[in-house]
Amino acid sequence: MAVTKLFGASVKRREDPRLITGRGNFTDHIRLPGTLFMALKRSPHAHARIVRVDVSKARAMPGVVAVYTGQDLVDKLAPVPCAWLIPNSDLKVPSYRALAVDKVRYVGDAVAAVVAENRYVAEDALEAIDVEYEVLPAIVDQEQATQDGAPQLYDDVPNNIAFHWKLHAGDFDSAWNQAEVKLSRRLINHRLIPTAMEPRGALAHYNPGTGDLTIWCTSQNPHVHRLLLSAVTGIPETRIRVIATDVGGGFGSKIPMYSGEMLASAISRDLGRPIKWFESRRENYVATTHGRDHIQYVDLAATREGKVTGIRVKSYANLGAYLSTASPGVPTWLFGLMLCGAYAIPAVHVDVFGVVTNTTPTDAYRGAGRPEATYLLERMMDLLARELGMDPADIRRKNFVPKEQFPYTTATGLQYDSGNYEATLDRALELVNYQQLRREQEELRAQGRYLGIGFSTYVEVCGLAPSAAAGAMGFQGGLWESATVRVHPSGKVSVFTGSNPHGQGEETTFAQIVADELGISIDDVEIVHGDTEMIPFGMGTYGSRSLAVGGTAVIMATRKVKEKATKIAAHLLEVAPEDVTFENGRFFVKGAPDRAKTFQEVAGAAYLAWSMPEGVTPGLEETHFHDPINNTFPFGCHICVAEVDADTGKVSFRKYVAVDDVGNVVNPMIVDGQVHGGIAQGLAQAVYEYAAYDENGQLLTATLMDYAVPKASMLPRFDVDRTVTPTPVNPMGAKGAGETGTIASTPAVANAIIDALSPFGIDHLDIPLTPERIWRAVQERRG
Amino acid sequence: MKISGSYTIRAPRQAVWDRLIDPQAIAGCLPGVEKLNQVGQDEYEMSMTVGIGPVRGTYEGKVRLANMNPPDEYQMQVEGSGRPGFVRGTGTVRLADGPNSTTQITYEGDVEVGGPVAGVAQRMLGGVAKRLVEQFFSCIEKQITSS
Repeated sequence: MAVTKLFGASVKRREDPRLITGRGNFTDHIRLPGTLFMALKRSPHAHARIVRVDVSKARAMPGVVAVYTGQDLVDKLAPVPCAWLIPNSDLKVPSYRALAVDKVRYVGDAVAAVVAENRYVAEDALEAIDVEYEVLPAIVDQEQATQDGAPQLYDDVPNNIAFHWKLHAGDFDSAWNQAEVKLSRRLINHRLIPTAMEPRGALAHYNPGTGDLTIWCTSQNPHVHRLLLSAVTGIPETRIRVIATDVGGGFGSKIPMYSGEMLASAISRDLGRPIKWFESRRENYVATTHGRDHIQYVDLAATREGKVTGIRVKSYANLGAYLSTASPGVPTWLFGLMLCGAYAIPAVHVDVFGVVTNTTPTDAYRGAGRPEATYLLERMMDLLARELGMDPADIRRKNFVPKEQFPYTTATGLQYDSGNYEATLDRALELVNYQQLRREQEELRAQGRYLGIGFSTYVEVCGLAPSAAAGAMGFQGGLWESATVRVHPSGKVSVFTGSNPHGQGEETTFAQIVADELGISIDDVEIVHGDTEMIPFGMGTYGSRSLAVGGTAVIMATRKVKEKATKIAAHLLEVAPEDVTFENGRFFVKGAPDRAKTFQEVAGAAYLAWSMPEGVTPGLEETHFHDPINNTFPFGCHICVAEVDADTGKVSFRKYVAVDDVGNVVNPMIVDGQVHGGIAQGLAQAVYEYAAYDENGQLLTATLMDYAVPKASMLPRFDVDRTVTPTPVNPMGAKGAGETGTIASTPAVANAIIDALSPFGIDHLDIPLTPERIWRAVQERRG
Repeated sequence: MKISGSYTIRAPRQAVWDRLIDPQAIAGCLPGVEKLNQVGQDEYEMSMTVGIGPVRGTYEGKVRLANMNPPDEYQMQVEGSGRPGFVRGTGTVRLADGPNSTTQITYEGDVEVGGPVAGVAQRMLGGVAKRLVEQFFSCIEKQITSS
């Protein structure tokens, strides 16, 4: 039987028919009898003292079962945890109560929870709660928040600075003193709102008889949520089951522990009834974490030939009102370590101030720290090219880490696994027909039309791991991944993965890998995820780690299965295991291919166990916990070609070319999809999306009408291509592809637009480059 | 958010002034007012239903008239809160004689909204506020001219 190799095949996503026909198992689809609905009263003020919360009217409403204030839960629920305690930073983690007790610190901060027979009653009862506030001055801008005299969110966080984190690698001062070219800029990487298609929610069911808490919730990492829920409720882990099988997107926003899930759990235990809570889209905008939001001061030192000799960054990261689960790690390690990018930069000095403000807390958002680093670097490379009159492609080439130098250790201490940066640049230049484009640009300028070409030659860190690095960075967890491969007596296989796909397609890609390894049909492989009662402890899906780390765990567990099956097959074939070959799902005697047992026969024999080799136990099931030796570092070159109408500021996209190198690819269709979605989000940051607050801390963009998530018609066609430089870090040679598009595209688009505007003497504008911003800049230059 | 504007009423200044500070006239002319009870000297409790963009809701709050300088100028302070959030505003209304026994009203003020309504409707607030003010003055004018 010939078996088609599935690694590298564009197998259609097996999960999609279920997901796109309304048959998914999303949290809000789960119904339990006797369920009460919980709704949260949220603060309309960004900063206020809570003088009084009167819930008596709400409690008296028919259908209302209970109303809780912050004070009611002080002894029943520990504060919302922060789990990334960055070392050597004087980190302060102020108390973050699920329901605010003394003060509210952002619009959306929860002050009371209503539990009622249904959602209508619960929402109506919110209105009947009377909260008296003493409104305090609010602070929104993180740089101003550090100034003397700014409103203070906490008594014990002076100047609102929750931490000052430093990474000083190499001798920047002498690079700066000796620099032939010095560039200094203030860059803004503005705040974004993740906007997953499914908002967050939970259904918590505490069984007073057994003491078990089962909670369905919108989680990227169910085991991590189980651990944290146990810590905040005091219910032992052994009594908590977290289920998050189908999750409608997260982009990082479903990593953290939030008040909603905690409250549903604690209140279910209090009342002994299932509690459902689900955000409205409006709540999602104010109460689910936001991303990015840096103000960066950058100094770049270079030679006149265009070689970068050092970079210094001082960044003010807006953490929002409280420290979310991973928030201290995102603007520090995930940002600072990546400030060399694809370039051999010998000196990198980073100082990051994590600042609390009266805004929604921030945390990981697709790319998490790396887009902020990449945008900064790629923008500075263009500024340097402009300063020196060099071609932006040439300046990048001049600074690339040469392909002979891999594995390459950066000044910041990362070891880039493998790379060939010039190859992606060359391929992208060829695909856009670069020389021709530059000629066309000149011709159009002569006609008063403004075409721009923007580059981004990025490198990113994927496969977040290993555990020792996580420990050194203060992350309160390991970064390994688990897998159990269970072969059933029929030879069909269940794979239990600690990764938790919420759109990434691992039900397909992991099955492709296992089917290949075992030489069986993909239809005989089921991928199980998202249920802590079924899967071994796992770390979850984020940081483009599922394939590189979780997939490797699956392969390793599968190989253990093969090893055991080979012993059983050898025993059945009456030869030594060394004399057995396994190919295409058959075990056969070397040199005598007709003497064979199929994988299914061996599986059956393992469970019958009538005749097992000496020392081999019955059954066929293996577990592997994989802790990689290193991260993986995908890279690539994105080129955006855009035309700007100088009279209206409108941008139209001519072309977008993405040449990525994510190592070997399991499923090209899925990687293309990831790249497309990523570019859409990154491009949107460059020109559309912007979380705007007014000076009082009111979020002005709190609906899909006001926050510009791009529609298909707002995006150009993407020409996607790849080079292949496998990673030595895992047996697949796969690097990860979940965030490349988001990381690469923002600077490519911004650089294109700013290149288009260069005839006006414009060398930088802060994103998002809306028509208004462009029009104003052009008007100003035109005078 | 700052708002300002002017409006001409075809009636003499004293008549306009009298109406503008008359609680019955205010209750009858402010769009969406469901109740207006005097609770003190120039201070009223009211309930008002307003739609700002897609957000329609009832706000319970207070209106206070201050710094009365008849028949030239007064200040109005409004604050209300409800399901959609809160609204706060202060404004100054000035009256001047216009030609042909008309009254020229100029107003300027600062309006702040918060909570859900801010995220949904702030960009429409300026327009809505201006429309409400104009409806109010136009209603006052009708009351005077029809009486």
